[in-house]
Amino acid sequence: MAEAQSAPTEKTINIHKDFKEHSVAEFFKKNRQMLGYSGKIVSLTTVIHEYVTNALDACEEAGILPEIYVKLDKLGHEHYKLIVEDNGPGIPKKLVGKVFATMLAGTKFHVFKQARGQQGIGAAGAVMFAQETTGKPTKIITGQGNNEVHEMRVAIDLKTNSAAISDEKIYSGRMRGTRVETELKHVLYQKSEQGPDEYIRRTMLVNPHAKLTYMDPDSITTVYDRASGQIPKQPKEAKPHPKGLETSDLMAYATKTKARSVASFLESEFTRMSNAKTKEIQDRVAFDMNKRPQDLRWEEAEQVCQAIEKISFIAPPTDVLIPIGQNNLEKALENILTPEFKDILTRPAGIFRGGVPFQIEVAIAYGGKSGKVGEAELEQLGEAKKDNIEIMRFANRTPLLFDSGGCAITKAIQSVDWKRYEIRPENPLTIMVNFTSIHVPYTGAGKQSIASEDEVLKEIRLALMEVGRKVGRYVAGKKKMYEQEQKKKTLEMYIKPVADSLAKITGESAERLESQLRQIIEAKYSAELEEAPEPEVEEEADEIPDEVAHELE
Amino acid sequence: MAKKQTSREKFRIPETEAQRKKRLETIDKIEQLAKEVVEDIKKDQAPYLTVPLRGKSNAYHHPETNIIMPGDKVIKRRYMNVSHTKKFAQMLAVAQACKDDLLRENLHATIRDLYYMLLNIKVPGQKEAIVNDQKESNVISEDLEVALGVLREDLNLQADKKGSVVGNVVIESQGDEINWSKLGSGGWAIPSITDDVHFKSIDADFVLYVEKNAVWERLHEDRIWKDMNCILIATQGQSTRGARRLLHRFSNEFKLPIYVFTDADPWGWYIYSVLKYGSYALPHTSEQLATPTANFVGLTLTDVVNYGLEDIALKQKPVDIARAKEMLSYPVFQSPRWQTELKMSINKGIKAELQSLAKKRLTFISEEYIPEKLEKRDFLD
Repeated sequence: MAEAQSAPTEKTINIHKDFKEHSVAEFFKKNRQMLGYSGKIVSLTTVIHEYVTNALDACEEAGILPEIYVKLDKLGHEHYKLIVEDNGPGIPKKLVGKVFATMLAGTKFHVFKQARGQQGIGAAGAVMFAQETTGKPTKIITGQGNNEVHEMRVAIDLKTNSAAISDEKIYSGRMRGTRVETELKHVLYQKSEQGPDEYIRRTMLVNPHAKLTYMDPDSITTVYDRASGQIPKQPKEAKPHPKGLETSDLMAYATKTKARSVASFLESEFTRMSNAKTKEIQDRVAFDMNKRPQDLRWEEAEQVCQAIEKISFIAPPTDVLIPIGQNNLEKALENILTPEFKDILTRPAGIFRGGVPFQIEVAIAYGGKSGKVGEAELEQLGEAKKDNIEIMRFANRTPLLFDSGGCAITKAIQSVDWKRYEIRPENPLTIMVNFTSIHVPYTGAGKQSIASEDEVLKEIRLALMEVGRKVGRYVAGKKKMYEQEQKKKTLEMYIKPVADSLAKITGESAERLESQLRQIIEAKYSAELEEAPEPEVEEEADEIPDEVAHELE
Repeated sequence: MAKKQTSREKFRIPETEAQRKKRLETIDKIEQLAKEVVEDIKKDQAPYLTVPLRGKSNAYHHPETNIIMPGDKVIKRRYMNVSHTKKFAQMLAVAQACKDDLLRENLHATIRDLYYMLLNIKVPGQKEAIVNDQKESNVISEDLEVALGVLREDLNLQADKKGSVVGNVVIESQGDEINWSKLGSGGWAIPSITDDVHFKSIDADFVLYVEKNAVWERLHEDRIWKDMNCILIATQGQSTRGARRLLHRFSNEFKLPIYVFTDADPWGWYIYSVLKYGSYALPHTSEQLATPTANFVGLTLTDVVNYGLEDIALKQKPVDIARAKEMLSYPVFQSPRWQTELKMSINKGIKAELQSLAKKRLTFISEEYIPEKLEKRDFLD
C-alpha cells in the first residue's frame, strides 16, 4: 500500500479516494465469508436475506405495508435463479448503481439508528456474489409509480467500486417497487434450519406487518399473510454513540463528513464525544487526528475504534429503540405457529459495553407448529422427537441462522435450567429471542452471532426464566391432564375383566356391573378434571426376598 | 346321549367329609369376598379389596410360639387407584378361577397351571392378558390366600412337588398303603399336599433333613436311616410346603426331633430358618408349616475350619455377603453362635457345600460327620 504524503491537491484527493474505495471492494471480494458467503447453503440464504431485508427496509422507510414476492428456481447443478420483488417506493434510476453496486454506499450508515442491515454492503455483496459465481450481472426493474419503469443490469466494477450498468431499458407502467432477478452458482437449496425456507419463516415471524409469497424450487407456494396492519415505527435517528463503533462504519462516516479533521469529525458526528474525549483518543492512536477525515485509512480507523473501546462515555438515550412489540409478536406467533400456549415478554431497555442501548424480547410458543417438528408432522412420525425445542435468534428483526454456538442468545438459553420448569427436550417448543439495538455486537462480519456481553446475557436469561415459568406451568397442567386421561383409560380397561369375574362368582349380571363401574369412573373423573386429584396412595412394596419367592414355586 | 364319563370321573378317589367341608367353606369365602365388592359397586361406591400386608414390615417373630407370625396391617386395594386396578382385577380373576375351575370341580392345579388359565382372560385394548408372567399370578394367589384367610392348599392350588423321603414308616395315602423303607433307591416322592397322609406306623428316633438331593442319595446309599434309625428327607433348595408340613407333623404329632443339614452359606441357613420359624413373606402359614423344634446341625463355617475344608471352600459372591449382612439383623439369627457364623461368612468371604466333606472320603459324611455332630449335640439355635 503506497504512502501518499504529498500536499493535498484536488488530484491527490481523488487518487486517495479511489484507492480507498478500491480497497474496500477488493477486501470484501477476498473475504466474502465475512459477509455470510461461506458455504453453498449459507450463501443462498444470505443472498435472499440481503434482498428481503432491503425490501422490508425500503417499504418501512416509505411507510408502505410490505408485500414481497420471492421465487427460487433451480436451473442446474448448484445453479439457481432468484427473484425478489417488493411494493416499496422504488429506486430513482440514478441511485440504482449506488444501492446495488457500491460497497459501503447504502442508505443506512449515514444515519445512526436501529436498522436491520447496519451496513452498506448487503445488496452490493449479493450482486458481487452473483457476478463472481456466474459472471452475469443482476437484473433490476424498478418503478416509483410514476409511469416510468426502469430496467437495467448491474454489476460491480471492482477496480473503482462503482456500478457497471448495462442493457438499460425504460418503459411506461404503473409499477411501484423493485424487482431483482439474479442467477447464482455454487449454491445449494436445502430444507434445513439454515436454508431459505426457514429464513423466510423466521423473518415473517418478526415482521407481522409484511406479506410474503414464496415459491420454492419445487414450485410449492407458501403465503405468509399479513398479521398486523401496523407498520413499525421508524426508529429515531440519532447521532451514533462511539461505543460499539466498528472500523467499517467509521470509514463510511468519514467519507461523508464535512468536518475538516478527524478530531472534529468525531466530535460533530458522534454523541457524547467531547473535546476531552478526542484528546484521550489522540493519546491512544499513532497518527495525527488533525488529518482530513477523507484521508483516514483503514488501519487508522481501526486504532480509533480500539481507543474508543477503552474509554468510558456517558450512555446514550434509550428512546431510539423500537422493539417488535407485544401485539405484533402475538399476532405473528398465532399466524405462523398456531401454538396452544404462548407467552411474550419485552424487557426494559438496558445498556451494554458502557454505552450501547439494547432491548430484549422473548417469545415462547408451545404446541401447534411450534418446535422443530410440529404436532401434525410428529403424529406422522409416530414417535417423540428427542430434541424438539426450536431456538430462533433475531437481531433487529433479522433471523440469525448460522454460528449459533457462540451466540449470546444460545448461551443464555443453555444457562437456564429448563427442567425446573418441567420443560423437556422433546416438548414441541419454540423459543424466540429478538435483540434490538442501534448497534448489535456481532461476533464476526457474517453478522450471525451476538457477542456474549454480560449485560446482554443477563437480560436474555431473566426474560427466558420468566416466560419459562409460565410455559412450564402450562406444560405441567397439560401433563396432569394427560395423566388423568391415561388413568381413566386404565380404569376403563379393567371394567370388563372385573365385571366378568364378579358375575361368574356371584351370578350377578355382568352387563349391569360393567355399566355401574363405568358410572363410578365417569363420576370421579368429571369431578376431578375440575379440581386437583387426590394424591395416590402407593401400595407398600412387598419386601419378599427372592429366595423366599422360590419357596413358593 | 349321555356324556361319556371321563377317567377322572370314573376312577377318582372320593374326598373325605372333612375335605368336602373345607372345600365348601373356601367357596363360601370367595363368594363372600366378591359379594362385598358387588355391594359397593351397586351403591356407586368405589370398590376395594382388603388384603393383609405381606412382607417384613408386617411380620414378627413371636417369642412364645417361636415362629414368625403375621402382623395386623392391611392394605386396601382400590379399583379406582390406577396403581392398584390391575392387581384388583387379577385378584378377582384368580378367585374366580379357583372357585369355578378348581374348587367346584374338585380339581387341583399347580400355580403354573393357574398362570396359563389366567392367560385366557384378556384386557380390552391391551395386547397382554390379565397377567404378564407367572410371577404376577404367584403373588396374586398369595394375596388371595391371606385375604381369604386360607392356605393355598385350600384353594386347590399346589406348588410343584419336590423332595424325597425314606425311613421305617408306613403310611396310607389316597387309599394306598406305602412302606417308605421298601421303595428302592428313589424313596417316596413327597407330594405337594401331605395333609391327607395317614401315618400307620413310625419306627424312628429322629428326622434328618438335608438341603440337597445329592446328599440325600449319598446318605440313602449308605443306609444312614437304618443305621441311625431315622427318617431321611431332602427337598433340593427351599423346602416345599408338602415337605415342611411333613416335618411339622413329625414334630407335633410324633414328637420326633428334627435335625437340619444345609450348605454353609447364607442361603442354606435361611432355608433352615424358614423350616424352623416360617417365612416373613407368608407368616400366616407358619402355624401349619413351621417347626420351631428343629435344630441346625451343619454345615457351619466352624465345621469347615475344624474339618480342614477351608482350602477347598468356595468364594462368596457379593450377593452372598450382602445377604449375610442382612441376616445379621434377623431376630432368628441373634444367638451368639449364629452371629459368629454370619460374621465369619462376611469376614472370611467363604462358603462350602455339604458335599465338600467328600474331600475326606465319600462316606465320611454318613460314617463320621453326621454321627459325630449328633452325638456331640453340636447344634446352633
